[in-house]
Amino acid sequence: MSDFKETLKAQIIEQLNLEDLQPSDIQDDAPLFGEDGLGLDSIDALEFIVLLDSNYNIKIADPNQGRDIFYSVNTLADYISKNKQ
Amino acid sequence: MRILAHSYIQPNGIWLNQTCVKSTVGEENWLKAIYQNSGVEYPKFYKMDDLSKMSFLSSELLRKFIPAEIDQENELALIFANHSTSQLTDTKFHDSYAVQGNPSPSLFVYTLPNILTGELCIRNKWYGENCFYISEQFDAALFIDQIQFAFNHGNSCCLCGWVEAKTDGSHECFLFLVLLSEEKLDINTLNNLYKTYKNE
Repeated sequence: MSDFKETLKAQIIEQLNLEDLQPSDIQDDAPLFGEDGLGLDSIDALEFIVLLDSNYNIKIADPNQGRDIFYSVNTLADYISKNKQ
Repeated sequence: MRILAHSYIQPNGIWLNQTCVKSTVGEENWLKAIYQNSGVEYPKFYKMDDLSKMSFLSSELLRKFIPAEIDQENELALIFANHSTSQLTDTKFHDSYAVQGNPSPSLFVYTLPNILTGELCIRNKWYGENCFYISEQFDAALFIDQIQFAFNHGNSCCLCGWVEAKTDGSHECFLFLVLLSEEKLDINTLNNLYKTYKNE
């Protein structure tokens, strides 16, 4: 799982164009959104939806789900592992 | 009008009032190096385009020089300009759909140069006037005209900047903070200040 999280962090960096970040800069349990985390916003939520679709064939039907799924790398990894096709 | 402080960023480092604050010679990721050296905690920095990153880093230095009596929310105007607009991000956004097949929303939001003024306003809760001009080169006369206009319309302080992020990597960011005063700022003084940094 830890290898998968590192891969996921690299995908997040690439998808969101966070060129100055390294995977090690992102904590597994830190919030991704809001000023306490990476400072991501609703535009970045769209990027997450694209990331899940293009890399894991997971479609988020209800955008309201995103708040919980995209909370942290841990929650995102957990959701992907349970739903990837 | 009186210049209170000024800063300059280029890939070799960042200067405040002509003193080098952080040299980034040899740093592959020089904007990140300046950010980490600044001691500022603002994770949104990593999301910004290069125009916004440079302006943010410079403004973090210059805002400390804003006199306490200035009503920053309402009396501080932003006057910015460049030549290349948002060409660097425009190119990246084009690649995201033409090459990679997925138009990137996070790149799209930076496909206007004046987004950088929005970033500064959000960061500092500056709600006054802001404008962004496109000109062939650094134009001291344009800046002085616009500063005077701002001062004639209720502003008492202006944060001004010439910010370039080019596809060939030749970035630069010259910011200067101007206070309303009886003193005159002439074109040659401002041009010479900019040229001094250009020769660093």
